[in-house]
This record gives sequence, structure tokens and C-alpha cells, in this order.
Amino acid sequence: MKTICDGRSGDTRLMQGNEAFARGALEAGLSVVAGYPGTPSSEIVENLAKASTVRDIYVEWSVNEKVAMEVAAAASFAGLRSAAVMKQVGVNVASDFMLHLAESGTRGGMILISCEDPGALSSGNEGESRPFAKLFELPLLEPCDMQEAKDMTKWAFELSEEIRNLVMIRSVTRLSHASGNVTLGSLPEIEPEARYKHWGTPIDPEEGPITTFPVHYKHAQMQQKLKQAVTRFEESPFNTYEGPENPEVIIVTSSACTLYSREAIRLLGVADRVGLLKLGTTWPLPPRLMETHLAKADVIFTVEEVLPFLEDSVKILAAEISDRIGVKKFHGRSDGTLPTINELNPDLVAEGLAKILGMTYQAVDPTYTALADEATATDAPERDLAFCAGCPHRASFWSIHNALEMDGRQGFVCGDIGCYTLAFLPTGFSTLKTGHAMGSGTGIASGFGKLDRFGMDQPVLSVCGDSTFFHAVMPALVNAIHNRADMTLVVLDNSGTAMTGFQPHPGRPSDAAGNEVPALDIAKIVRAMGAHVEESDPFDVDATRHKVLELLQKGGVNVLILKQSCALCPEKKGKKLFQVDLDASVCFGENCGCNKLCTRVFKCPGLQWDPEAKAARIDEVICSGCGVCASICPSGAITKKEVA
Amino acid sequence: MRIYGSKELINDVAQRDLCIGCGMCVNICPYFKTYKGKSAMLFPCMLDQGRCNAHCPKTEVDLDALSHFFWNEPYDGSPLGRFKRIMAARAGEKVSGSFQGGGTVSALVAYALKRNLIEGAVLTGAEGIEPVARLVAEPEQVAACAGSKFIAAPTLTALNQAARDGARRLAVVGTPCQMTAVAQMRMNPTKREDFEDPIALAVGVFCNWALDHRQLVAYLSERMDASTITGMDIPPPPAEVLVVKTAEGEERFPLKEIRKLIPHTCFICPDMTAEWSDVSVGMYEGRSGWNTLLIRTQVGFELVERAVEAGWLEVETFPKENEQALSGAALAKKERSFRNADRHGYLRQDDEDCRPAVRVPPEVLARLLG
Repeated sequence: MKTICDGRSGDTRLMQGNEAFARGALEAGLSVVAGYPGTPSSEIVENLAKASTVRDIYVEWSVNEKVAMEVAAAASFAGLRSAAVMKQVGVNVASDFMLHLAESGTRGGMILISCEDPGALSSGNEGESRPFAKLFELPLLEPCDMQEAKDMTKWAFELSEEIRNLVMIRSVTRLSHASGNVTLGSLPEIEPEARYKHWGTPIDPEEGPITTFPVHYKHAQMQQKLKQAVTRFEESPFNTYEGPENPEVIIVTSSACTLYSREAIRLLGVADRVGLLKLGTTWPLPPRLMETHLAKADVIFTVEEVLPFLEDSVKILAAEISDRIGVKKFHGRSDGTLPTINELNPDLVAEGLAKILGMTYQAVDPTYTALADEATATDAPERDLAFCAGCPHRASFWSIHNALEMDGRQGFVCGDIGCYTLAFLPTGFSTLKTGHAMGSGTGIASGFGKLDRFGMDQPVLSVCGDSTFFHAVMPALVNAIHNRADMTLVVLDNSGTAMTGFQPHPGRPSDAAGNEVPALDIAKIVRAMGAHVEESDPFDVDATRHKVLELLQKGGVNVLILKQSCALCPEKKGKKLFQVDLDASVCFGENCGCNKLCTRVFKCPGLQWDPEAKAARIDEVICSGCGVCASICPSGAITKKEVA
Repeated sequence: MRIYGSKELINDVAQRDLCIGCGMCVNICPYFKTYKGKSAMLFPCMLDQGRCNAHCPKTEVDLDALSHFFWNEPYDGSPLGRFKRIMAARAGEKVSGSFQGGGTVSALVAYALKRNLIEGAVLTGAEGIEPVARLVAEPEQVAACAGSKFIAAPTLTALNQAARDGARRLAVVGTPCQMTAVAQMRMNPTKREDFEDPIALAVGVFCNWALDHRQLVAYLSERMDASTITGMDIPPPPAEVLVVKTAEGEERFPLKEIRKLIPHTCFICPDMTAEWSDVSVGMYEGRSGWNTLLIRTQVGFELVERAVEAGWLEVETFPKENEQALSGAALAKKERSFRNADRHGYLRQDDEDCRPAVRVPPEVLARLLG
């Protein structure tokens, strides 16, 4: 098997950003990594899991990000180098422990890699985690390309060991999921030994118990560590300046925005007017280095995604040293020079820079834009964001939606994060009516389920995936049961963390490295908690609707487990359960009695409307053979035959 | 008559809370389902015209069109509707079993099945308290569905399903609202080329009101374990109670309380005696063990004649004074309901955009309401 362990020192390889992070961790002598899947972070742990077949490291998909950070911290406490890996929202989950960890400090080098999603391409929010570094007084690094991803990761372990605290690295989608050349270093030959030394006093950093107590002492230590980091930042090769000695404008930037800024300068042809201060160490800012560069120009343009985090730091610092560098004019996301939402790109940066320089810049000819818009409207087939063909979620929400409509009391479903989030759209029959964080649907349903005394008579459901159930739903369910809420949780069990690529979770029988592990049974767990439990195959839409309707009439906490593997899971992919056929001569088509139920409402991508035949047809290539459409077809035109 | 689609049906029936849950919009398409006494639309079908709306007894019912279709006469608003003969009737000696009233409906349907005059009958059975639609094919199965359920029932779901499955020559037994729905269906208002009338016999049962299923269950559930209920009865006046039967015995609830559970839609219904049917059957006030039988059509006439000859039905003349009393009650319901519907604006047909619940010829309305 090819792994990121392949390649010798000095070799140059094309690597994905996440591969480079993983390689950097290995070059640093990482022993333990723990994470929870989430786009765009998942490949780091996945690559290290593959590497674990050839290197002696422990790789874990943890139940959630907080536990992942705790698992990684344990390794650090035992003197090993470790990493916790997650996406930006995961840092929120881990943040409670992270605050305490920052104050207690670490022992073996420990890093947090947070891969973030400006523009929310694969997220339910456009949050970011850099402010946590400031909030918890921890050093923050932001690599700008794949080489830096690898090199900074390695250096982060050294820095962490030096200051005995967690070091945070922030990546973004365009770095984690892009690829570039990386010149490799060597993989160390090490034989790490794990031992937790706890026999000293609590203030003994080498052999004492690791706690946040005594709090004031540890807080002072924490601040001292941060100062130590700043000293190293002043000399860091990851902070560079390129451009004239006396530019009109200095761009201060980091991460993938470095590349956008560089390209913007080139697009506008203003390399002689604009300097580029690229920072790899973005919190705390190294004041001496900053003073040297900020002194060069009167106009400072900060380019970053998502919040004006760097911009605020630069402004504060500039104010502090204004007697030496003079008064500056600031531009960035705060003053609207750059959009305050969504990802950036070279055009947006160029537009912003042109505005500052009094130039005009038009990325795309408006005539072209108009033509493209017109062509998109008329020539491109209409495609909604949709569940895949054969997705069990479509069938599940079909039954849930129909049960709620039949019940007729304006019941609703509280959702959270997973492929099933799409059910707020027509592909899930617009069934989800709240959508927030992992597990929040069930917590919210628990709350709704107590409002009967104020006249609320709408039935309340929540949905969660099997991975989410373990991640964050269990405490919410305990809450609902203990507090006698009236609600029904539907567990959409598709046998894996499907949205991020089938990573295992505690309900699965194998771990990140493929070892056999005990699988926890969701039905047994919820039964033991005291909920009324029902199970159904979501592909049996009539039985499932019946079960949902039954549960809607019951008080207390009910759990319905709808178990059916994801259509794309490795065991199922490419295999059809049924051969599905459609007899166009029987199809009711647009007539009363159907009016294109399958293509207009059910909308599985495997079904297509043939406007000439005025009948539906099955797209053999896309159909995954789940057979559900045969159950919903009112004319009997769709039939299914079990594939032997 | 005017035909609209599912959108208007939801607007004019569900949102006005006029749905009686007869089941006529269910099982003709995938969009309508019935649950606990109410029809629900799962998704809008987007068609401008549909059978769901055209057959619904609570919107755009054109009484004059129905009357012309059935009797070739204009709608005249007569209290009992058009009929050939009124009689007293009860099940004959060939029919075994005990009945709430005279067993006339069971006797006629069982006889028609026995003689193969029909191939199946759409009836209303019960599961506990819940009325359920039943399609029966054997005469012996009829008695199990005998007796009033007192609750609005989705009987016609079984009719639609049977018709879809290709059944023809069906009998259907139903309340006036259900008979109105069936009558509209038989007119094929959407002009479907493949339409075949599946009905061979329409038996209407008298009805003043029915109880709302959900409200009744909620009411009873607060006072007893509703899941233990095996049956219900409202004994003739002056009892003024609802008797609920369980395995352990009976519970009694004052009718004064129970009447509050009548859905608002029953108070706009002008029909007490199921005018759009071949025969209509009801209680015989003051004569226990007998029914009132209205024979309306030739089909009804011949059936009754044969059933009497064969000993399945026993008939007697119906006293004139009883007919007058019945007629007076039916007229009172008509007047009350038209007045009530008019007050809500459900009869308005004064401009193009109006979609009344019932279209009543203005002269009839004027005569009835003064």
C-alpha cells in the first residue's frame, strides 16, 4: 500500500495539503493522533491510519472532538508527541477541555490541527477557530502552502515541547484539499516510551500531576509560555516580506490568502507599489517584526478569511507602537474593502487592492457574465442539491414527512449535521425545520417536548446519524428521558460516518486502522436509557410510516432506528438490491392520479421524466437498485425484481 | 359544475375545517391519505383539476347538476329528497343476527351479495372505537359491519381502492355526505375516457351528525382507557347518553357533552336522509326493531321487492304522521344548515371567483330561507 511514509529525505512529491500535514507529523516523530471526521480535515487522520500499517503509531477516530483532544493529551502527558485533528466546528466541541489544557500545559509535543471551511462549502456555518488561540492564550500557526503545511507541523511539535503547551495550526479548504510540491524530510527512527510521571508537586512541569491548579500560578505560566513563543516567532522563517522597501500599501496576510494576494499584485501589475507581509505565526504577532514592516507604508491592507482576526491584532499592535510607526490607514474585511462573508479569491483581493490604489479592476467582462447567466438558465439542466440515488435518507424522510402530514398537527423535525441536513430542501421533502450543531436537534426536541403546558400540541421529532448519535446525541437523549419530554428521535443509521467518507464510529466493528473492536448497539443503549425503541427498514416505506405515526401518538421519549447502509458505502457501492424496471405504457404520467410523483416529488436522480413519451423512465446508470420507487409508484408502472 | 384541483381542495375544505374524512379523495392518487378521521394532502399535485376536488362532498357540490343527472329534474329542495316510496322495514326471517335498528341495510346488502346482484360491498366496520373501511364479498361478512359507528368514517377509501383494483358492480353503504361524494363520482365530472361506474347499489343511511374521531378519542382518553373500548351506542331518546362498551362493562357519558364533539362541517350539511342513493335507511322513531326505508330509484325498488319475496326483508306501510315528522326533521336540518353555510359565506356563488361548498339554486334557497 502506498502511504505518506513513502519517499526519502530530499525527494519532491506532489501532495495534498492534508497529506503534507500528516507527513510533517510523522517527520516530527508523532506517536498518537486522534480526531473526529469533518470536511476538510478527515484525510489527515486517514493518511496517518494508513501509515500506521508501516509505522508504530496509534491512530484513533474518537467519539467526538473533545474526547479526541483528551486522547491526544494523554499521549502528551505520557511524554509522546501527539496531535488532535478536527474541523473548525470540532474545536468548539473540544474547547472546554482545550481551555483547561492550555492552562495545565502539556509534556510531549502536542498540536491541534484545525481545518476550516471559509465559505461553508461543506459546513453548516462559516465559523472559524483562530479566536480560540487568543481566548486560550495559545500560539497559532497558519501555513500558506503544502511545503509549509509539512514543515510548520514538524516545527509546531518542537515549539510545543519547548513551551510545554498546545500549539494550534489552522488550515483552510484550499490548502487542505489542494495539492502542491513538497520536499520531504526524513522520518525519524524512534522508540518512544510512554510513562506518565505524576510523583512531583503540581508545579513540577516534569514529574508533577498535570492540572490547572494552582490556577493563578498556572495562568501566569501559560502567559510566560506565550511570550516564549513570541520570541521564537520574531525569528521564524515562516514570516516573510516581499516587495519594495517603501511601498504605498502593505498587504498583511496568511494561509491560502497569501497566494491570492500574490496573484492580485501580479494581476494589477503593482509589484513596485505594494509589499506583501506573509505571516505564518499569526497569534500572538511578533511586535518587532511587525514594527519593521508596518513602518514601511502608511496603508495596511489585511487579507484573510473569515473574521478580521489578524486585522484586529494588527490594528491593536499598530496603535500600541503608533509613536514609532506613525498613523496608518487600515483596509480589510472590517471596512468592506473585502466582502465580510464567504471565501476570498484572487479577483476579490485584486478588486480590493485596486480600490485602495485608485485603480479599476474588472475580473470578468460583464458581457461574458450576462451570456453565462443566460446560458446557465436555459441550457443547463435543473439540478437541485439532492440525496444520491438509493440514499436511505430519501426513503426515511419520505415516511417521516408523510406521517407528519397525515397526523396533521403541524409536527416537525429538528435536525443537525450530516448528509441528512439536506432534508430541509425538497430532496428531503423540506422536513427539517431546525438545523444547528451536532446533536442539537435532539436537545432542541427535548426542549420543545416540554412546552405542552404552554399549549404546544405539535408532535416533535429529531433525527441524527449513527455517528452523531454517539458524538453528541446521547446526553440530549438522557436529558429528554430524565425530564419527561415528549419527543421521538429517529436514528438514521447508515452504518458509518457517511458524509465524510465512511470513517468508523463506536457503533462499527472496526477502528481507524481496521482492527476489530467492539461495536456498541444503539438500540440496546437507548433501551437501557429508558426510551421506547422501535426499528424499521427505511426502504419499507409503508411499515416505516406506520411506525412513525404510531410513535407520534405516544407520549414520552421514543426512538426509531431506521437502519439501511448508505448507497455509497464500500459494501454496497455498485451492487443493486433490485433490478428496477418501468413500463411507460402503464405510467400515469401527468394525469390525475399521479402527475409525475416519482420525478416531480420523490425526485430520486435515478428517475427521469421523458417529455416526449410523457412517462417516467429509469436511468440504468444512476439507479442503485434500492427499489423504493416501486413502492411509491401509484400506477404499478415501476416494478422491482430481486437481483440474485 | 365546476372542477378545481387539490390546491383549492385544501383551501376550501381543509382550511375551512370542513373535511368530514369520508375518504373520497383517498386511494385515487398518491397525494391524499386518511388518518384518524381526517384526510391529509401529503404533497400538492399541482394539477388544475382533479377527482379529489370534483368528488369531494364539501366543496363545489352542485345540487342542481346532481338532480339532473339522477332524476332528470331540477333540484327542488324537498325535505327527504326524491323518492318512490317510504316504508317500514326490518330484516326478514332468512337473516340471523341482532341489529341496532331493524337490520334493513344488512339484509339488503347480504341479499344482494347472495344473489350475486353485486360482487362486493363497501361497508364500515370498526376496530375498537375507530371506524374502518371494509370491502366484503360474502353475505356472512355483512353483519360484522352492522350498526352506526357515530363517528365520521373513511369508508370511501375502500370504494376507491376496489374500483382501482378493477372491481365493478359494487354496493356502497354510507352517510349522506358519503352518498353525495359517490353520486358526484358517478357523474364522471372530470370526463375521464376510461371511466366505468363501479356502483351497482348505493345504500344511504340517515344521519344528523357524526362525531369527530380525534376529538372523541381525546375526550374519552381523559376519562378512561380508550384502547379498551369495544363498541359504542347512542340509545334512542330520552336516554341522552353515549354508551361506551368495554370488556369490563359500560361507561356512560352525557350526550350534552358529546354533542360538543360534532365537527363544524356537520352543521352545514343539508342532507339528513342520504338523498343521492338507491335506497335510504334510518331509525324508525318510536318503533324499536324497525327501520324507515326510502326507496328512491328503480334499482332500489327492484331490490326491495326481490328481498321481500325471498324472505330477506319484511316491510310494512309507514304511517303518514311519521312521514310528516321525518320530513319536518329533514327540513329543519336543511334550513338550519343552509342558513349556517350561508352565514359563513359557503354558499356564495355571486361571482366567478367564488367557490361555494354547495351550489344551491337561488330560488330553492330563497324558498327555504325565506
